[in-house]
Amino acid sequence: CDMPESLNVGNGNPSIPIINERTLPKFLESARMEKSVNRTNTRLKLFSGTANPALAQEIAWYMGLDLGKVNIKRFADGEIYVQLQESVRGCDVYLVQPTCTPTNENLMELLIMVDACRRASAKKVTAVIPYFGYARADRKTQGRESIAAKLVANLITEAGADRVLACDLHSGQSMGYFDIPVDHVYCQPVILDYLASKSIPSEDLVVVSPDVGGVARARAFAKKLSDAPLAIVDKRRSGHNVAEVMNLIGDVRGKVAIMVDDMIDTAGTIVKGAALLHQEGAREVYACCTHAVFSPPAIERLSGGLLQEVIVTNTLPVAEKNYFPQLTILSVANLLGETIWRVHDDSSVSSIFL
Amino acid sequence: CNAADPYKFDGGNSAGFHLLTGDTVPASFSRTRLEDSIYQNTTRLRIFSGTANPILAQEISCYLGLDLGKIKIKRFADGEIYVQLQESVRGCDVFLVQPTCPPANENLMELLVMIDACRRASAKTITAVIPYFGYARADRKTQGRESIAAKLVANLITQSGADRVLACDLHSGQSMGYFDIPVDHVYGQPVILDYLASKAISSEDLVVVSPDVGGVARARAFAKKLSDAPLAIVDKRRHGHNVAEVMNLIGDVKGKVAIMVDDMIDTAGTISKGAALLHQEGAREVYACTTHAVFSPPAISRLSSGLFQEVIITNTIPLSEKNYFPQLTVLSVANLLGETIWRVHDDCSGAIEPFSTLGID
Repeated sequence: CDMPESLNVGNGNPSIPIINERTLPKFLESARMEKSVNRTNTRLKLFSGTANPALAQEIAWYMGLDLGKVNIKRFADGEIYVQLQESVRGCDVYLVQPTCTPTNENLMELLIMVDACRRASAKKVTAVIPYFGYARADRKTQGRESIAAKLVANLITEAGADRVLACDLHSGQSMGYFDIPVDHVYCQPVILDYLASKSIPSEDLVVVSPDVGGVARARAFAKKLSDAPLAIVDKRRSGHNVAEVMNLIGDVRGKVAIMVDDMIDTAGTIVKGAALLHQEGAREVYACCTHAVFSPPAIERLSGGLLQEVIVTNTLPVAEKNYFPQLTILSVANLLGETIWRVHDDSSVSSIFL
Repeated sequence: CNAADPYKFDGGNSAGFHLLTGDTVPASFSRTRLEDSIYQNTTRLRIFSGTANPILAQEISCYLGLDLGKIKIKRFADGEIYVQLQESVRGCDVFLVQPTCPPANENLMELLVMIDACRRASAKTITAVIPYFGYARADRKTQGRESIAAKLVANLITQSGADRVLACDLHSGQSMGYFDIPVDHVYGQPVILDYLASKAISSEDLVVVSPDVGGVARARAFAKKLSDAPLAIVDKRRHGHNVAEVMNLIGDVKGKVAIMVDDMIDTAGTISKGAALLHQEGAREVYACTTHAVFSPPAISRLSSGLFQEVIITNTIPLSEKNYFPQLTVLSVANLLGETIWRVHDDCSGAIEPFSTLGID
């Protein structure tokens, strides 16, 4: 399939193609041919919100479908208007919309799309949320706080979604905030496939968790990366989005350190962690994460030379002005497309990740 | 108030345990106790106990200066649970104390029936006080086609009519989000920290150890409060439920006193193998600290085998006398829970600084 034109820039900017075909895990390739026979006659409809249309288009191409036509606009007072421009009566509808920045706008747009589909007599509505905003607000760390992730789950359910498909939620427990089925798509295989193609000898690898909250995630990653050893940056944070490195638990001397997290926001945690790893004698430091939130001043920090490569996926769109030489963007479109087909076909989803 | 009689046995047991109650009250509690008692005479506060841990409930009542509410709980021949309140709760603020410890499903159903009984008896508010939340570990789908049973239990408690939940040391902090009703999450940590502080282990000797990667955040919070002690992690790779395999220690414990911290000890496989590893790695002494003493077989034989200097637990789950062993220390969370209940009832928060660390507000 062709890449969207906007990504093929030739005008002086570094051209960073989103790596798509190679990221399809091998076991998916065989399923692709046999599946295509049964998929021509379908009541499946795929629509995109405005947050990440490039990803939705890629998913549609993988699935051999056209994106459904939808009119989304904002009135002068900021209210969002959605009209489906084709019938979805009796259809199995998938709405692709990460709730990334601007978070509340994108969330409200998703809710209105869900409501529009429900009122248009869709048989089933699935919210496909590659990046779940408010996911980090998943617990009360002090009194008198909201659990906003739970609130968002309630809002999506109340709007009329029958099912949710989400990528790499910040905590696995967040699936429990929903009373509707949630398919949790892990993007680790996409990143692991890419790392495997780089031929780093396995005895050189150490997987590093940049904070204590993500140790379980890093350990799962390490297991799949030739059962690599683990190290942890024990930082003590004194405020939101402010990081302070204190100590490394484990050993990275002479090794290639692979830092693993679910997202990079301001990049403070991961960059200070990388600085610590270099001090502790790491030969190279890679940063891998699924969600490239990249709030300022992330780009300056990430391109500062501490990281050999920053490997992210396209769950959130990365603006062209935010590209930098160490950045690699992998595509989760095929993974999401395959998951959507299996959900629609009522086939097994979890067998993708075995 | 006096500690409950069953804890004051002297008959033949080599170690006479007294339950450490007075010592575990943080100093800041003592002075509010007297002034609080003035207001407690004209109260619509009612505390009832299920059958799972009546001793803890009695202790809580003693702390609050109340009598436990009278309640009849029995089982019919076919196993069905019958509950009748034997005093009026109309317009009252009712607190039901019931950990859902083994037998988990029996104790859970009993709690649900108690809640329903209170609702139908026109209680104004019903709070489920759950010192140990069974099914808490079933808090996520680790593979496809599993339940999230902690969420299911949360739904059941809410649906049966509870207005609020007060729970101790949920396995994950996110589990509060499974409820749509307010949840007060009480940490057993201050009780354990107070006790450790009284043992005068010099702070430069301490290392706090998490026995698995899932509990690192908990251990780190503990380490911060324990003189900002360093942290180590046992990275084990588990191949089945309740089966543990130790692989590697991340961090250093040579010559140190290792304090292993977890929220519960079930079969004690994880913590025993972790302790063995710590000794191999040169730890001088190993302590185990945990809030919930589930102690499924073969926990007792593992814990008493000599790997641990001391095993420090609380009484969220009742511990039968036959399960005592010399290294065991049982701390009480009754005063902590009693104070929380009083504040919930009074609609006040921990405005006084020392209480804010309890997370009650």
